[in-house]
Order: sequence, then C-alpha cells, then structure tokens
Amino acid sequence: MAGAAAFALSLAVLPAASQSPAAGGRHACDMSDSETASEGSGWLSSWLPAWCPTSLPHLKDAEEKILKRITSTYSKQYVYISNGNKIWTLTFSQDLSLKTPLILLHGFGGGVGLWALNFEDLCENRTVYAIDLLGFGRSSRPHFDTDAEEAENQFVESIEEWRQAVGLDKMIFLGHNLGGFLAAAYSLKYPSRVKHLILVEPWGFPERPDNEQERPIPIWIKALGAMLSPFNPLAGLRLAGPFGLSLVQRLRPDFKRKYSSMFDDNTVAEYIYHCNVQSPSGETAFKNMTIPYGWAKRPMLQRISLMDQDIPITVIYGARSCIDGNSGSTIQSLRPKSYVKTIAILGAGHYVYADQPEDFNQKVKEICDSVD
Amino acid sequence: MLCHDPGCLRLPEKRPRSQSAAVAAAPALLPGCWLRPPGAGMLDDECGWSVSFAGCGFLGVYHIGAATCLQERAPRILRDARRIYGASAGALTGAVLVGGGSLAESCADVLVLAKEARKRNLGPLHPSFNIMKIIRDGLIKNLPENTHQLASGKLCISLTRVSDGSNVLVSDFNSKEEIIQALVCSAFVPIYCGLIPPSFRGVRYVDGGISDNLPHHASKNTITVSPFSGECDICPKSNSANFHEVNLTNTSIQFSLGNLYRLTQALFPPEPKVLGELCEQGYSDALRFLKENGILNESIYVDLPLAKRNPQDLINYPKFTKKKNMPGNNTEEKMANMGKFNDQLKQNMWPLDERIVETLPPKLRKALQEACKEKCGFYAQLSKLLPVRVMSYLMLPYTLPVESAYSVALRVVDWFPDIPDDVRWMQGQVYRIVGTVCSQARNKLLRACSKEGFGSLRKCHTIPPTIELHSTCCCLKIPHCSADLESWLWDFPSCTDLTGKQVSASKEKLSESDSHLNCFTNSEESGMEMDFDSSSENSFQTASED
Repeated sequence: MAGAAAFALSLAVLPAASQSPAAGGRHACDMSDSETASEGSGWLSSWLPAWCPTSLPHLKDAEEKILKRITSTYSKQYVYISNGNKIWTLTFSQDLSLKTPLILLHGFGGGVGLWALNFEDLCENRTVYAIDLLGFGRSSRPHFDTDAEEAENQFVESIEEWRQAVGLDKMIFLGHNLGGFLAAAYSLKYPSRVKHLILVEPWGFPERPDNEQERPIPIWIKALGAMLSPFNPLAGLRLAGPFGLSLVQRLRPDFKRKYSSMFDDNTVAEYIYHCNVQSPSGETAFKNMTIPYGWAKRPMLQRISLMDQDIPITVIYGARSCIDGNSGSTIQSLRPKSYVKTIAILGAGHYVYADQPEDFNQKVKEICDSVD
Repeated sequence: MLCHDPGCLRLPEKRPRSQSAAVAAAPALLPGCWLRPPGAGMLDDECGWSVSFAGCGFLGVYHIGAATCLQERAPRILRDARRIYGASAGALTGAVLVGGGSLAESCADVLVLAKEARKRNLGPLHPSFNIMKIIRDGLIKNLPENTHQLASGKLCISLTRVSDGSNVLVSDFNSKEEIIQALVCSAFVPIYCGLIPPSFRGVRYVDGGISDNLPHHASKNTITVSPFSGECDICPKSNSANFHEVNLTNTSIQFSLGNLYRLTQALFPPEPKVLGELCEQGYSDALRFLKENGILNESIYVDLPLAKRNPQDLINYPKFTKKKNMPGNNTEEKMANMGKFNDQLKQNMWPLDERIVETLPPKLRKALQEACKEKCGFYAQLSKLLPVRVMSYLMLPYTLPVESAYSVALRVVDWFPDIPDDVRWMQGQVYRIVGTVCSQARNKLLRACSKEGFGSLRKCHTIPPTIELHSTCCCLKIPHCSADLESWLWDFPSCTDLTGKQVSASKEKLSESDSHLNCFTNSEESGMEMDFDSSSENSFQTASED
C-alpha cells in the first residue's frame, strides 16, 4: 500500500524527469565515481532519485560541510574489504604510535559526521578512527542476510576485515547505540583485539520483557503498531521523498540545538537525511535483528558472560535517555570477576556525545588514559 | 469536598528563601552527585537547580503525582529550586506548588474536569463545556491570595505570543489576578479552548506548548518532568526499546504505542480511573528518580510495594526499609493522620487498583477515590445502558442546537466585560490579514513581471548539460526534481518572507542579467540557491522547446 502511494506521488514527477535527457547522464556520471551503490535497474530507478532528492554526492557534500568545521588534521579514505565492499574511514592520526587507537562506531542511522563535537578532544593524544558501519553512511550498502545472527556476523566481519586492512593490532572500541551492540559482538568474537570496550547508550542489551502491559492500550493503537512493524524504521522518511528533509528538521529540531555550537543552520539534519534516504541496507539488517518494538532478537546480555574476562567494559549513558541505563549493573552482575563501570552523564539523552560533549569527551579521555 | 486544607499548605516561614541562600545551601542539600558532576564546566552549577513541567493537557495529573512525591520525599527539591518552569498543565501544577495550594485538591479538580469533559456525547468539544472558565474558577479557589508574592521570580510560565508565535517566559506578577491570567493564557489551546485568545497585560497569548513545551530543558541542572516517555528526568519508563523519538517543541516523545495512546488522551481525557493510574505513575516515576540519584533521604517513608509491579523494578530497588521512627515532631502527627486515612480507606469501596492505594499518599488517594466513585443512582445506571446511549447519540442533531444556543448565551454573558477589547483585537487582526493578502498579491504581480523578463533571457542561453549544478539542499541535477515540490507545498506558512526573498532574488537577476551565464558556472557561490519554483517553470518551457 505504501509502495502504491509512493508510486502515485512519483507520477507527478515522472514527466519532468523524462523531459530532461541531460539529467540521466549527469546522474550516471555521479554514480560512476561512487560505484557500488546497487540501484534497482530499469524504469524504476529512473524516477527513484527524483522522488528522494538525494545521492551519494549529496551525502558527500553534507558530510564535507560538517567536517569543514573540524580544525584537527585528519585524513579520510575508503578502506577496501572483501566482496568489493568498502568502509568509509576518518583517521585522526597522532605520532604517538604506542598508544592504543580509539575506534568510534556510530549508531543506527548515523555516520562519522555525528562525532563532529568529539573528534578534536578525543584525538588530543591518541589516534582516533571513525568509520561508517557497513550499510550506513558513505560505506558500501550491500545486501545483508535476513537472518539476525548472520547479519550480525556480516557486520562483525566487516569490522575485522577493516582492522586487518588498516593494520591495527589492539584497539579501544567505542560504540553508540547499534555500534555498541556491534562492538560487543566484535569483542565476543575477537577478544584479543579489544583493549577496552566503551558502550555508549548501547542498543540491544536487555531482553524483551514478558508481554505484561502496564496500562492497557486500545486495540486501534495496537493494530496501527502491527501494521507499521513490517516496515523499515525509517521507511516513512524515504516515502516522504522531497518532504523528507523538512520532516527531519521538524521532527528532530533537537539536532540543530545539540550541534548549535558548531552549526547554526540545518547542516546536521541534512547530513542525517542524506545518510538515511539512500538504499536501506544497514537499516534492513538492523530491522532483521530486532523484534517489536525495538528489542534485539539476540540480546547481548544473554551472551555477555561469555566475553573474555580480561576485557574491561565501561557503559556510558545519558541520565535522561529512555534507553535503560541499568544494563551496566546487569553486565557487572553477569561478569563478577571483570572490570565493569557505569557512568551517567547528566542532562544528556540518547545522543550523549552531542548533548553534553565536554563531559562526554572528558570521560572518554579518562577511560582511554587508563588504558595507556 | 474542595475546602481548603490547611495541612497541605506549606508553612510560610519555610518558603521565602532568598536566592543566595539557596545557592549557599545547594552543595549541602543533595548528597547525590547529579547536581555537580565533577568537571562540569557549567556556570549554571553555581545557581542551583530548576524544575520544568511539560505541557500535557489532561495528563497533568501525572505532574501532580510526581510533584506530590517530590514534596513528600524530598521537599527541598521544590522548595529551594531556583525556578519552576511550566507550560500549560505544567504551569498550573507549578503555580499550585509555588503558591502552596493543595495538590490533592488540584488532582480532584482535574478529575472532576475530566469527568465533566466526558459527560457529553461530543466530549470536550461540546459547546457547553467551557474549560477555560472551569480552570479559572479552580485557580481562584485553589490559589492563596498572596500567590503572586510567592510566585514572582520563581514560577516561569511559558506563553506563545499570538502576534509572532515566539515564546515568552513570564515570571513576575503583580497580583493574583495576573498570575491566573498568565496561567489561563498558557493553557489556552487554540480552537479547542476557544477562538479568541486571552490576553495578559494587553498582549494576546496562547498555549505555551506551541512554542516551548518544556522550558529551560537544555540545562543539565533542570529536572524535567513529562508524562510522555522520552528523554526526561522524570517520565514513564516505556516497555519498548525503541530509540526513535519525535521532538515536539522541546518535549521529546519516544516512538511507542504507549506514547501514542497518551497523546490521544492529552486533550480527550480517559476515564478517571486511567487518570488515577497516571497520577500514581507520576508518583512512582518521581520516586525512582529520587532513588536513582540518591536524594531520598528525608521525610516519611512507607513500605512501597513497587516490587509487585514488575520484575524489573525488583532488580532496581531491591528492598525498602521501613523508617517509621523518624525524628521530627510533625512526622508522628503525619503518621497518625495517615493511619486515620488508611482506616477510612479500608472501609470504603475502592474502584482503583490496589497497588495505587498502597503507593500514593493518603490525601491524594482520597481525592482520587472520591473522583473515581461511580454514581450509583438510578439515573446514572440508566444512562449507562446501551439503548439509552444510542438514543442520546441519535438525538444529538436535535439536542445539540438547543444546548449550543443555551451555552452560547451563557458565554456571551461571561464575555460582556471583554467585548470591547476583543472586538478591537479582532479588527486589528482583520486589518493585518487584509494587509498581508494585499502585499502578497502585489509581490506575486511583481514576480510575474520579473519572470517574463527573465524567461526570455533564459531561452537564449540554454544551460549546457555538462555543467554541474549544486545546491545546498536540493537536487538540481534533474532540473524538475521533486525538490521543487517541497518548496512549493511544505513551506506555505512562511510564504510571506519566501515571496519577499524571491522578489529580491529575481530583481537581482534582472539587474545582473548580462552576466547570468556566469552565475550558472559559478554555481557554488550561492548563485543557484535561487527560487526553485520560477526556475522550474522556466525550464519546463526550455526543455519543451529543446
């Protein structure tokens, strides 16, 4: 039904697109330097980009607009991994090669640009890598397996292959949201590579509680929920097409506020928009890893006790966030012999690193300094 | 039932504390670390903390529950708070708190209001339901005469100015009447509450929730209270792990079914029983906040049956100790009162869940209980029967005009003193609208002229296909990209300045028409961030001629 709506709406745009032969040519030329993005073929793709005003160059521009404001020196490149995939990597290298590098893994729907408020502080005395997860941001958007375990494995393997390609031995992993989940999954599989695991507002740790509703919810709301659940979480954004950007700005004006110290316009909203209206690959994988509403199919708390006891874990959460901050104490109780610390950042919500960047950076630096 | 209860009024000598005293006391007050995180470079730290209540319509009972908890378990939080912010229902709660009115009574009032709203077939939309009048009368009755003295400088009410839609925080009041007027303005949801916005000091304002529903939330020293689960200090814990949220004028609302349900209840109240549960939830959420931050160190304790509620809570709050022998002279008195209340409650039939009986403080319990009592009379029973209800709906087309006429007459009588003011205001509005329409029409006309001039020029220079066109936010690669659509449809509210910009842009183009090819090649320099609608129309022409 949603598809039909999109089709109907797009018809209005179709004649316009077909009248401009130049447009297709330019579009193809843009695609050539950004290769892999596997678009659907035939007539469908000819109007798809017209409906959502986005493309990889748009994303690139939006990201560059954000990175322009960063004063530290950094390099950015694609790191090529198997299956022709590539991982977009930002490197803030420091000469102090003795220090364990810090790897930043963004959350669902994000990208390297969202760490804009944190790079400068974090890279003060150690090398910092920030990557776009496979299927997100400017990295390749391959097809993920529909099986939750397999998809998780694909993510983890992409990180491991990235590590091999970059040539790192040991790392400090910092993951936000989905990145936290994947960092933990990585640490389970490759414990020897992880010196310290920092989970910032991690997603997918607790199990879904038994279906015991606190307050009864009317049938029509439940029906609405059931109707929406087969769709990708951000499908509405793509469906909104040209209205998508305004939708992001209107529904999440808080992003503008969070980054107001750096940008006084809608740069961040644009970046988030272009990150998420491309073909939804990581998003689909995430959806396949969840059960309604928002719980993990394979919750990490069930497995965390299997993690190497020597890996220290720090959980950072925002005091106002709606994600349960109690995961930290539960992890502690599941790993009685290991180092687990929980830090609450006041006045911060889910995007801790953007809500209270100073506090966050300071805490992370302290943790990193405790490593070496 | 709604008599003033002196026991609930805070003693006056406790209340007025100068701000400097609060500042000096701040470090010692709260042993938890939440106010002063180490290394926080916030100047706000030196100024104490604030409490902010979100606007939420009938869900305001949640605030009452939360405020009751704060008042009982950690009275200093509210007493020594630097400011208490609020919008709409949050402001009403704030006023009752600052003015020292009884929370239990306000809770009862809200429930009575909700019942009143539910009484009729059209619910709160029925013309005879005059919510503003009920709120005003309730405030006059519930707030003490010196409220303005207590509230000035402490209570900040969020208002939305009608003339420009901007947010205004009011915090100084000269009389009780003024504070009530500000509260009424803050609670005035346009259309739902009426058509003519009320005025405060001669300026028209509407619901503060429209511009800022959770004032001062960005500061980390603000304790935010909201009945919607999301990113707040005191808010219901949702049973979904969804991290997607919507941010409506600073209130963060998580995407969850529970929140959707709550949103529908904000203006169309549910049964009193459901509101009672919400009140209880506010109480227990506030308690959780206090516990998590280690502020729960004073006042009386009762054994809380939180563990019964769900297994997760059991992990979080393992065991609650009874601390009945607290030092202090009024504690025992309170305990005695409580015992008396408990006995009373046991005798009465309790329509709400048992857990609420056990969690809430007795006064609030009593208020809730009375409000939840169903009418047992013959008429009440009769009107609940299905055929009678169907009949009343069928009769609606006949009864509604009569009832409307009656209530309109009542309202006109009430309106009498304000008529000259309101009429003058309406006149002003009409003039403004007419003026805007005229100027827009003029602009459109001007633009049409300029388009003609530009269009002919444009035809001479068709853009070479190889030149890349960039724009900040929209796709120009396909000249008739759907991005145009967006600027056409979505931005209609700001059309006045949009058209203004377009006009100036097209004027510019006219004057620079000689070099307008340059403008395309140097597209990076904002040359192409021009008006999409006119260019797209032009390019339609161009393309068809090609």
